[in-house]
Amino acid sequence: MTLLVNASQITGLPVVTVYGGDDVAEVRDVVYSPGAGRLVGLTLNKRGFLAGRRREVLPAEAIHAIGRDAVMVSDESSLVLPEDAPDDVAHPDADRNVVGDDVLTEGGVSLGTVRDLALLVGGTGEVVGYQIDKPGGGQGYIPLPAQLAVSGSALVVPDITEEFVRDDLVGLGAAVDEFRARLGLR
Amino acid sequence: MSDSFRQCAGRKVVSRTSAQALGTVTHLLVDAPGRQVAAVIVGKGKKARLVDWSALSGFGPDAVMVGDDSALRPPADDRELDGANGKLELVGKRVLTERGNELGSLADVSFDPATGALETLRVGDREIPADTLLGSGSYAVIVDDSQEAQAQPA
Repeated sequence: MTLLVNASQITGLPVVTVYGGDDVAEVRDVVYSPGAGRLVGLTLNKRGFLAGRRREVLPAEAIHAIGRDAVMVSDESSLVLPEDAPDDVAHPDADRNVVGDDVLTEGGVSLGTVRDLALLVGGTGEVVGYQIDKPGGGQGYIPLPAQLAVSGSALVVPDITEEFVRDDLVGLGAAVDEFRARLGLR
Repeated sequence: MSDSFRQCAGRKVVSRTSAQALGTVTHLLVDAPGRQVAAVIVGKGKKARLVDWSALSGFGPDAVMVGDDSALRPPADDRELDGANGKLELVGKRVLTERGNELGSLADVSFDPATGALETLRVGDREIPADTLLGSGSYAVIVDDSQEAQAQPA
């Protein structure tokens, strides 16, 4: 079963070992590479009330699965210290955060500002779209891969993205394949 | 005839040599990869003792028989200590698929009292074959992908 969720719904999920059945951490934040359009890893908190940050990070490659109720890893060795982790997880670019960025089409139309990421869960968490605050108010979703350039304050998407703005995650799910087909991506 | 984790809780543990009751079954510790009962936990808290499945002389419907009181041993490692403290008790634990979706809480586990082999996991009103079991620990019992279609929709 795969489903779409907002990245913010993943924060706070327990990180559970498949073969140990233990909750070894919980998700603090999603580390996302806007350039590559993919999730690169997760930062972690300790489990428990007011337990604080864990130094280790979880690279995307070490994630067994992201589900509705937990992030699954094989065992605790999947959690690695920043010095042993890929650079993009350990030291994410300062401008990696696209939340708040203006979404502009190549034609110069603003579709809104980025509110959250839409992730396909059930696998390892492919980023398939953005949730946006529309300029006229209200929220919508646009599919990825769409962006052509990211600056830290704006991202530029193809003109056809405007036709694929959807009201909810269900609509986005249906739009992603058609959108990618139109762009010749599959 | 199969037995279950709930049914055997509270059953007497009796020494075959002295005919004395040595305690009662608190719960069972499992070897998840082996899909097998690993040990019987007798008593609770600091007084809890383990009997390895291989040290039992019989797991009967009315009593669990051991050779003598030397079959009872203290926890030997962290995992067994967690077991003795009740942190690894399966019944009541949440069941997750390996994809991270919850199926519900574990109501009971049936097993073959002759061999200790786990048979089925009962979650709500569903019976899940024990060969789907991947891991069990302090937080959850993990089953494989084959149960994914049963996960509750969001």
